[in-house]
Amino acid sequence: MEPLKKRMEVKKITKTFFGKKGYFTAIEEVSLDVYDGEFLVILGPGRCGKTVLLNIMSGLEEPTSGSVFYNGEEWKGLNPEIGMVFQKLALMPFKTVMENVELGLKFGGMDKGKRRELARYYIELVGLAGFENYYPKQLSGGMQQRVGIARAYAVNPKLLIMDEPFGKLDAQTRYQMQEDLLKIWEKERRTVIFVTNNIEEACYLGDRIILLSDCPAKVKEVYPMDLPRPRDMVSKEFLHLRTMISDNTDLSI
Amino acid sequence: MSERQDLEARLQSWRQNQKKETMEYVLLSGAGILTVLLVWQAVVMTGMVNERVLPAPTTILETLIFKLGNKAPDGNVLSVNILASLQVALSGFLSAIVIGVPLGLVMGWWTYADRFIRPIFELVRPVPPIAWIPLVVVWMGVGLQAKALIIFFTAFVPCVINSYTGIKLTSKTLIDVSRTFGAPNYEIFRKVGVPSALPMVFAGIRVALGNSWSTLVAAEMLAASAGLGYMIQIGRTVARPDIVIVGMVVIGAIGAGLSLILSRAEKYFLRWKINR
Amino acid sequence: MERMNGEPKALRNVLYWGLPVLAIGLIAIGWIAFSGSNPDLMPSPAAVWSRFIKTFTKPIAKTTLIGHAWASLKRVLLALMAAWAFGISFGILIGWNKKARAFFGSIFEVIRPIPPIAWIPIIIMWFGIGEFPKILLVFIGTFVPLVINTSTGIEMVDRINIQVGQIFGGNSSQILKDIVIPTALPSIFAGIRTSVSSGWTTVLAAEMLGANAGLGSLVTRGWQGSDLSLVMVAVITIAVIGALLSVILQKLEKVVCPWNH
Repeated sequence: MEPLKKRMEVKKITKTFFGKKGYFTAIEEVSLDVYDGEFLVILGPGRCGKTVLLNIMSGLEEPTSGSVFYNGEEWKGLNPEIGMVFQKLALMPFKTVMENVELGLKFGGMDKGKRRELARYYIELVGLAGFENYYPKQLSGGMQQRVGIARAYAVNPKLLIMDEPFGKLDAQTRYQMQEDLLKIWEKERRTVIFVTNNIEEACYLGDRIILLSDCPAKVKEVYPMDLPRPRDMVSKEFLHLRTMISDNTDLSI
Repeated sequence: MSERQDLEARLQSWRQNQKKETMEYVLLSGAGILTVLLVWQAVVMTGMVNERVLPAPTTILETLIFKLGNKAPDGNVLSVNILASLQVALSGFLSAIVIGVPLGLVMGWWTYADRFIRPIFELVRPVPPIAWIPLVVVWMGVGLQAKALIIFFTAFVPCVINSYTGIKLTSKTLIDVSRTFGAPNYEIFRKVGVPSALPMVFAGIRVALGNSWSTLVAAEMLAASAGLGYMIQIGRTVARPDIVIVGMVVIGAIGAGLSLILSRAEKYFLRWKINR
Repeated sequence: MERMNGEPKALRNVLYWGLPVLAIGLIAIGWIAFSGSNPDLMPSPAAVWSRFIKTFTKPIAKTTLIGHAWASLKRVLLALMAAWAFGISFGILIGWNKKARAFFGSIFEVIRPIPPIAWIPIIIMWFGIGEFPKILLVFIGTFVPLVINTSTGIEMVDRINIQVGQIFGGNSSQILKDIVIPTALPSIFAGIRTSVSSGWTTVLAAEMLGANAGLGSLVTRGWQGSDLSLVMVAVITIAVIGALLSVILQKLEKVVCPWNH
């Protein structure tokens, strides 16, 4: 088997915030690799570090020290090949589902007819056909999150970052969304970085799991997940893995 | 160098950077005001604008100092005018708070009070306060009470509306919890409803203050024998633009001062809200 | 609503619908009684009504009540259009650009606490009592709330919304136009609403201090001519138009910001 191609390498990233009252280190010396085509889960129990780490990977924020390599070259600033699904959704309340999904295409200067067509494809892919002209407020939490996913997919990113996308959903919707997300991922194969604080979700979705420690966030352990999909959440192997990770996790209250 | 020292050093440089940015902001702000003053002074001194139409900033300053101890042309020194205006504005404003806020709270809490008072309030509400001036003057003359009543009208409306809306927005859960613990309705009103309405109440008081101060000027311009509004009105009739502008500057400064005091009070009364 | 317990249902209904009627009734009776005993302090409703009819048969200053109302409205509308154009753009500028905020914001902060009415004497000295000075005054009165609401709305846009724009490849002007301004739109609209009511008040003040036409001039005319019925007619017209304007704006907001409803 040929060695997996590295899409992104994060090398010794530290981020310290300075304030009037002193400083606070959110992430410390985090190094990790992202392989092409994989579904990588970053599992972080604590409150700090995850979003900051993602923002550094996508170029929204600068690290205090360390560097990010993309396709083997050092990257600074925004990376146009990265798409993102945001934790707080951050859908535009004044745009319809269609207009929200079109956002990146519009910024990219695609003409209206073409971007409509493309956006419609992704709206259908996430199962929202028929809701094109709704405003986000008129949709349920799960549906809103689907809009966020369609919006990110529509710009055809090489690397898709998802920041706790299902964190605010109820358990039932969450399971459904996890399954649908895997279906979409298998159909439109992208490299995905998925962040969560839910161990079960991590085990269900990930090709690999990177476990972070509590504040400051450091890489604690990397777990390869070789269980075949679809995974059975109550199978012996699954539960074993889950317990193993759970025992190694810092509790944060 | 240890890691800790390194971080300390970075913190220092961050702080210096912040200081520099604040300085830049302050300098730029000062530059804005200074530019206006300089251009103003220049157009007057070069004769592009007649001094009798627009006096130079330096003249304004001289007039301000002059007015501190001199009664001409309106018959009062500046401090007397200021006190007269403050007395009128504050008595109208404060009585509007004392009456308007409880009224709004009660209307928002008890439906029958709402049903009774609301129609009266809705009839009065769309009348701009200035339109009351002639009626009030006919009824009560041009004394302190008449002007205070006009100010009262203008400050009363926002006090009522905001208190009403504020207490209507009290969280249902909080009310239900209190009820589960057997608290009587009045007790819930006092301990749950009123505190949760306070931020909105303060927003209303803020609007009321702005309205009071601006209506005061109108009231004094139309009917008064002292006060800042009277002073600028006289300044106009005797063709003294410097007096008028001094009046405007003082009116603006006191208005800003009053709203600053209100912000402080708001911060004090709403300190539980600061960290959310 | 659930606080109305204790009384039987019939009594509750009587109170619920009876109280507003009672309130209006009391006002009407109070007005009639007061005007009956003090006709020179308060005209009776009948006197006000006949004065209202007379404004159409016997024009004041060559125009009817409608003409005067239109004169006031026209001034407000002209000033508002200018204030919307300048105030909103200026608010966006100082809300979006930190340097502009430092430089122009400070000037604005100095001028802002001066109530629009306090500008009346100096504006009359500079420009007389024609049409332009009145429009200018209303402009000043409406400009301030627009700038405040717009710039606050722009500044308060959540950082994550801007990050979304960056991630999706928007440049600065795209982010401003497609994300920041629409996000601030409800706040801008609140400014528009304040500007209309503030403009309506300011035009009255301007007209009361010197005008040949407009509802404010009717108030002054009635006041100085001891024609209190005319004052009442003008005041009621002012109130009705003010209320209508605010209803229209509420409807308009639903059209401009449909996602908020």
